[in-house]
Amino acid sequence: MSALPLRTREPGPQRFRDMSVKVGWGIVAWVVGIAFFLPVLWMVLTAFKPESAAETWPPRFTFSPTLSQFRLVFSGWGPYVTHSVIATVGSTILVLLLGVPAAYALSVHPVKHWRDGLFFFISTKMLPIVAVIGPLYVIALKTHLLDSIWLLIILYTAMNLPLAIWLIRSFMLEVPSELLEASELDGAGRIREMTEVILPVISPGLVSTALICVIFAWNELFLALNLTVTNAATMPMFLISSVPQEGLYIAHLSAAATVASVPVILVGWIAQRSLVRGLSMGAIK
Amino acid sequence: MAVVDTSTLLAPEPVVRPREASRRERWQRRLPLLPALIYIVIVTQIPFLVTLWYSFQNYFFDVPGGAHWAGLSNYKSVFTTAAFRSALWHSVIMTVTAVIVAMILGVLFALLLDRKFIGRGVVRTLIITPFLVMPAAAALVWAGPMLDPNFGLLNYLLQPFGVHHVAWLSTHALGSVIVVMIWQWTPFMMLIVLAGLQGQPADVLEAAKVDGAGALATFRELTFPFLRPYIELGILLGSIYLVNVFDQVRLMTNGGPGTATTNLPFYLYEQVNNAFDVGGAAAAGVITVILTIIVATFALRLFARVFQFEGASS
Amino acid sequence: MAHVRYVSATRVYTKGTPPAVDALDLDVKDGEFMVLVGPSGSGKTTALRMLAGLEPLDGGRVEIGDRDVTWVQPKDRDIAMVFQNYALYPQKTVAENMGFALKMQHVPRPERDRRVREAARLLNLDDQLLDRKPKALSGGQRQRVAMGRAIVRQPQVFLMDEPLSNLDAKLRVQTRSQIAELQRRLGVTTVYVTHDQTEAMTMGNRVAVLSGGQLQQCDTPRQLYDNPVNQFVAGFIGSPAMNLQTVPLTEGGVRLAGTVIPLPTAVRTAASQADLRELVLGIRPEHLHLADGTGELTGEVVLVEDLGSDALLHVRLTGQTDQVVARTEGRKPPAPGQEVTFRVQPDDVFAFHPVTGARLAG
Repeated sequence: MSALPLRTREPGPQRFRDMSVKVGWGIVAWVVGIAFFLPVLWMVLTAFKPESAAETWPPRFTFSPTLSQFRLVFSGWGPYVTHSVIATVGSTILVLLLGVPAAYALSVHPVKHWRDGLFFFISTKMLPIVAVIGPLYVIALKTHLLDSIWLLIILYTAMNLPLAIWLIRSFMLEVPSELLEASELDGAGRIREMTEVILPVISPGLVSTALICVIFAWNELFLALNLTVTNAATMPMFLISSVPQEGLYIAHLSAAATVASVPVILVGWIAQRSLVRGLSMGAIK
Repeated sequence: MAVVDTSTLLAPEPVVRPREASRRERWQRRLPLLPALIYIVIVTQIPFLVTLWYSFQNYFFDVPGGAHWAGLSNYKSVFTTAAFRSALWHSVIMTVTAVIVAMILGVLFALLLDRKFIGRGVVRTLIITPFLVMPAAAALVWAGPMLDPNFGLLNYLLQPFGVHHVAWLSTHALGSVIVVMIWQWTPFMMLIVLAGLQGQPADVLEAAKVDGAGALATFRELTFPFLRPYIELGILLGSIYLVNVFDQVRLMTNGGPGTATTNLPFYLYEQVNNAFDVGGAAAAGVITVILTIIVATFALRLFARVFQFEGASS
Repeated sequence: MAHVRYVSATRVYTKGTPPAVDALDLDVKDGEFMVLVGPSGSGKTTALRMLAGLEPLDGGRVEIGDRDVTWVQPKDRDIAMVFQNYALYPQKTVAENMGFALKMQHVPRPERDRRVREAARLLNLDDQLLDRKPKALSGGQRQRVAMGRAIVRQPQVFLMDEPLSNLDAKLRVQTRSQIAELQRRLGVTTVYVTHDQTEAMTMGNRVAVLSGGQLQQCDTPRQLYDNPVNQFVAGFIGSPAMNLQTVPLTEGGVRLAGTVIPLPTAVRTAASQADLRELVLGIRPEHLHLADGTGELTGEVVLVEDLGSDALLHVRLTGQTDQVVARTEGRKPPAPGQEVTFRVQPDDVFAFHPVTGARLAG
């Protein structure tokens, strides 16, 4: 029983209509994607311009590209990027150290009032940090933590911890209960259970959590702006400093903006799949 | 498959049920929680208590003599200050507009991305990038290279439509800030809705096809009801994040022109930084917190109701 | 009501791979209950979806009534489908689920309600269930709602994709007969897909056996059982399965377990014409008659499955490693380890080509 030669029929008018509808919407999607990406593209493009080509009318799409803006950025960013890295990495590590046990206590072997605990954590997220910035400044002043990288680490940890706890908890809840029961039967105590069973299983989840924390810590402006001056100034502050009172600065600003944004953009592109989960605090998988 | 998962929130059966525990057992369970709990309490509640204290004080940075008891006078002046009320109003407008428009666009984009086409992954990456751009960077890039009246790209692109050298940040300041908020948060809404769309069981859609539903009818009767929990979640989370927006206001318009774009976060910032009025800022801060608690309580109740919906599986 | 025809219908998923459905030619008569049966991957579900319009054709055509519907949209084919997982609309009530298609056709509300209630009655769905949502229903109830959704439309053809596979065994048997009875009553042409040959045999007017995308045989259940056209059909239809074994040809028949099983002349002629040294011998379990020591086939009982009414004996015939299954009366079966003998009628024996699987002189 052999088949007749395939595609003996002309695709009927219906098939053709289906295909063109499909292609049509695909084109619309591309247009939308490019339009949305355009400002980013423009930012990167402008970063390669000499200042003279940056503030022109009409805006120029062709010019002789130069790396001088980037060189300027890299010569000036030293302390800023160091502070950003320390604050980001430091707070993320602290978040994981505090968050993993807390999530454990709210999921696998829950405390009696775990619901209250969870809601307490999320409520701190809902309180606007702006409301307490004045007294926070005063406290920082009095404890000599003002303009200190430690202050940022402490505050960023507090900022990301609730989100991390919800997120890590959602991963822990996915550990099959049979696995935990088997390890219990095998005589594993709490610590063993954590290190041998839970952590290995949720390690991709921990990575996603860390990435989300990195995104929020790196981009944070408000606290850095109000509580640091020079000794702990981070990348967002560097950006602000690229806007001088006078003189041309657009190309340099674009280069600084590009450099400042690239790490998080890369992190976000890589962690795309877990972004939704992170942002919805584990509610959407 | 994406699911709006109740199990991570309200009703979840924890993995190992708490047995009738001995005292020791109970403390064993509490112990891991304590570091994080204590940390958060110290770092967030103490500043808040201090804020509360200062709200009843007359304390100006630039006035020597420290803080004096002022009773409720700070609160009185906050409620009577037009600036506070206008900041509140601006916050409401900015948040509501941005959330609604971002959600509508998010749904439309998610519908677009739910179909297969060449380069779908690339387009998805392009659309989510605005969300990943550092808000400070986005603010400065929009303020300068995009919206500047003399060399901004937007004016150039809108020329064929009869738009000439508009100083967006002067004449349409609030709108401009809202546009940047929408630009950065639409991808967030889109991702949430897309997760929902991709969780819709395929055979239900096929059944609708066989039953004679066209594309519009399918969306109206099936897809939209299915997406409701996701849309509600997106609006909820988006509002929480958007109400606190600060970077764009500070860096694009600095609250201006005048106070045209001043929202609550920026108002509080100004009180501390320019007016040096710690007492007044504290009072405004406490009021902001109370308002947020009220809204958050509604929101949390909505959160709870949303999660009774198990992502609609039949 | 209309007849359905597949004419050389073909579906290829990716170029270069064997077709999922390979030039299927099938005629379903008006009002007939046709079952498409086969193992997974046989193409039966794909063939059904091609009829529904949910899969495009890469060759050939599909007809409903006298209309070529190959390029017609599902909604314009006047068909109704029952999905394997029911595909009920989760946010709609039972009544809304069943009335959905009518709503799409702009049938006025009162008429819609009437037809929904009628279908509900037909399926023994309580009125109070009509306002519930699918997740508040049991599996069996959901299955009936899925059927109700199809019945309400009064289409020309019913399509059913393994509608019983998600039910527990007892419910399955019950619902099986209900569906068959319903179809008889309504008289609508039905194409029914299943992997369960028992369902196929008990429900279908005719059964089409598919394997690897190709139609093996389309016949009444009786014919499939008594006259399988090839080895696949012989081994697929009938439970427990037919005993199949490759045996060498010898004078007058074939050699099995040290004895000669005679074959009809026609079969021997066909075998020699095809230059065969051996062939595949098929004997159904009930055709291995337990003889008290007088049978020509001897063996040792390895396992006895006592089913109550019958017993299935797993026997290792003399000189063999493989076992055969024989069916005998349940009352006093032989015990494991016991030596037994069997008698076989030459007419009860099937012979298949060892390479092509085709029946020799069928």
